[in-house]
Amino acid sequence: MKGKCYIQGMAAISPQQTFEGDLFSAPLVHTDSNLLACMEPDYKPFIPANSLRRMTRVLKIGLTAALRCIQDSGISIPGPIVTGTGKGSLQDTEKFIKEIVTYKETALNPTPFIQSTYNSVNGLIALQQKCTAYNNTFVHRGFSFENALLDSMMLIQEGTSHTLTGAFEEITAEHFYIKSRIGFWKENKTDSRELYQHLSPGTIAGEGATFFTLTGQPSTQTYAAISGFKMLYKPAPGKLSTTLKDFGESADLIITGRNGDSNHEHFYQELDSCFPGIPQFPFKHLCGEYDTAGAFGLWLAAQIIKAQQVPRQWFPQQAVLSAPVNSILFYNHFYGEQHVMLRLERV
Amino acid sequence: MAERVFITGIGMITAIGDNVAGNLHRLRSRQSGLGYSSYIDTIHRQVLPVAEVKHPSESLFALAGIAPTEGFTRTTLLGLAAMREALQHAGIADVQSAPTGFINASTVGGMCDTEKLYFDIIDPEKTGAFLQYIDTLDCADCTQRIADTIGFSEHIATISTACSSSANALMFGARMIKQGMLPRVVCGGTEALTRFTLNGFNSLKNVDKQFCRPFDQQRTGLNLGEGAAYLVLEGESFARANNSRILAELTGYCNTNEAFHPTSPSPDGDGAYEAMKTALAMSGRSLEEVSYINVHGTATLNNDVSEGKALERLFGDQVPLFSSTKPFTGHTLAAAGAIEAIYAILAIQQGLIFPNLNFSERMEELNISPVTELMEGYPVNNVISNSFGFGGNNASLVISKYEG
Amino acid sequence: MEELKKKLKEQIIEALNLQDTKPEDIDDNAPLFGEGLGLDSIDSLELMVLLERQYHIKVEDPREGRKILQSVQSMAEFIQSKQPA
Repeated sequence: MKGKCYIQGMAAISPQQTFEGDLFSAPLVHTDSNLLACMEPDYKPFIPANSLRRMTRVLKIGLTAALRCIQDSGISIPGPIVTGTGKGSLQDTEKFIKEIVTYKETALNPTPFIQSTYNSVNGLIALQQKCTAYNNTFVHRGFSFENALLDSMMLIQEGTSHTLTGAFEEITAEHFYIKSRIGFWKENKTDSRELYQHLSPGTIAGEGATFFTLTGQPSTQTYAAISGFKMLYKPAPGKLSTTLKDFGESADLIITGRNGDSNHEHFYQELDSCFPGIPQFPFKHLCGEYDTAGAFGLWLAAQIIKAQQVPRQWFPQQAVLSAPVNSILFYNHFYGEQHVMLRLERV
Repeated sequence: MAERVFITGIGMITAIGDNVAGNLHRLRSRQSGLGYSSYIDTIHRQVLPVAEVKHPSESLFALAGIAPTEGFTRTTLLGLAAMREALQHAGIADVQSAPTGFINASTVGGMCDTEKLYFDIIDPEKTGAFLQYIDTLDCADCTQRIADTIGFSEHIATISTACSSSANALMFGARMIKQGMLPRVVCGGTEALTRFTLNGFNSLKNVDKQFCRPFDQQRTGLNLGEGAAYLVLEGESFARANNSRILAELTGYCNTNEAFHPTSPSPDGDGAYEAMKTALAMSGRSLEEVSYINVHGTATLNNDVSEGKALERLFGDQVPLFSSTKPFTGHTLAAAGAIEAIYAILAIQQGLIFPNLNFSERMEELNISPVTELMEGYPVNNVISNSFGFGGNNASLVISKYEG
Repeated sequence: MEELKKKLKEQIIEALNLQDTKPEDIDDNAPLFGEGLGLDSIDSLELMVLLERQYHIKVEDPREGRKILQSVQSMAEFIQSKQPA
């Protein structure tokens, strides 16, 4: 993707204390259950009680993160809304599948069906914001958020002044079990703080909702510029390294999606060998692995480049930056299939 | 100056045909694809009509051009069948011959197969080949299996905006071409009937027990359908250099949200009005130049009032000929936008206006009624194709005759 | 009848997850939709599910549903009319 856009506002609901408070002094939330669940905020200041009563968890975190992001951006005029989600509302999907059987296909409550629709969060945001602009939802594993970002950058190229761009994902106990059957998670309980030291098949699960307000022009409030963006689908051997080298030339810090999964660690090792000596900050010990974890990684990268510091309790071993960070390379992949590179610049 | 976007290949499979020619034949001969399901395991089988593709999944493997393999859902197989035809029609033997994107659309991914296995999947006591289907529930599964079978690697995406999904896929592909990101993108959607979706729409009380009657006073709901359709889009410079055969031009499009209600359109059709108006403005065509509108026309109480009002508001007393082809194909959700975009191209190429079946009584809210007989030899230059969905996601496309 | 209405109010509160509402807050004749409780068309579908699951009464036509679901009073009257004397 050519062209540039700016992050004007952000919000994240994640397993960490990211929704409010000072993130640079936030404690490190950890688990040894192999599942990092979101810290849910108080929804009432954001969503009217009459709407809240029907909504399931991912709808609440998605809508609330979106609304918080709009507040943070200071731009109240609604623009296009573009999102990505790998799984949408799992809770509603599971419920409807089961109710079909329990009630033998009669007297079914429509709410879980409606909310299982992948674009339901987008619809709710638009409804609450009275926003009639462009609205799109991408549902493609590790390219869900990234296609939403691409779409948003295209809209900005086409002249749109700003977009609301985000991602949301939940993990349920049932889905955690389902994915465990095909080796998504580590077999042994692993302390999330030691995720990178325990190289073995699988990783730990996570979830979250992250939103950005993207603009075509910088302002005094801008967090960072996104100046480069590349997606690679199942790259042939060698392709990843050559693309990374081209892409990350000027980076003075790297944010990576490394997750302790020995099956796909070799991609991150390729990254290591492309950029020896450049400090790396992995983020999956904070949010776990999920289809749209990349959005959380981007959020972290933007926080770091703007504040020129790292949240010290999240990275106890490398809490101090030794040099100014003007350019960040972000690299993440989802189970070795969808690979994403982003370049962030300091504004 | 942004590239013009041409359509250079089409492929489809629906209840009325395994390919484009089959669909055209049945459209001409007024033969609906509605009937009763042979393949869905549901108590509604003899009660709620559906438009089902007339092949069991096992025999779809041949149409999809692959040997029977675990993990290929009906959604994927329908998609592959349509994809093969679209590429062949465009004369593309190898998608790697030029950078080619693939933008797919799906509403429930491989639910058609997953719903049969779900209780085994969550039962630790059960194990077996069904585990191959664990990852087929999500919408990316069909996209990636189609991409991997065909050889797409340049850019892939899956869009899910309910009933407007594949219209949005076409739009996204066209925009990538206009921005010079790719010279060629294959766009469309695939949808297989599921017990999940059938019960979902039935729980909303908007499935008709009779064959659906779009724009009719007595309509009581939609019938679901299944199918897949893909269109090859090429930028002008690439199409010319490549000597592509140009079937039609995608001249306008608009995606807008109605922000009215989670599942219902506004009674005055604000979203539909805005989508059509903006798409038409982009196409540079005037209201008078619209020859035909392939309406969304699901035959639900709300859609048809809303869409009809929007037509009257936009066109006044000069509403162009319009019809819903859903009585032929059923409502194919994620595939509908692409299927109907192909029907728009057929209307242009063949000079046809397709009949809106099962219509007998004009709606009391409207002064307009759809075309009910096949019209032949009618010059069709610009078609508006509407797709409106849950979550207020509305999309309109303008497809125009290629004039050089 | 009074017993039925009281029970119905409890069932409505539970089915629609009206957390801050108590049975005594709902007036028998107050409109359930729009003003009043502020319910919408999805709630009306859920109330029809309630009638089917709890009282085994099936409402097929959504237009008929709107009349039945005007108020707790109209719902209770409808339920009573459907039950064997």
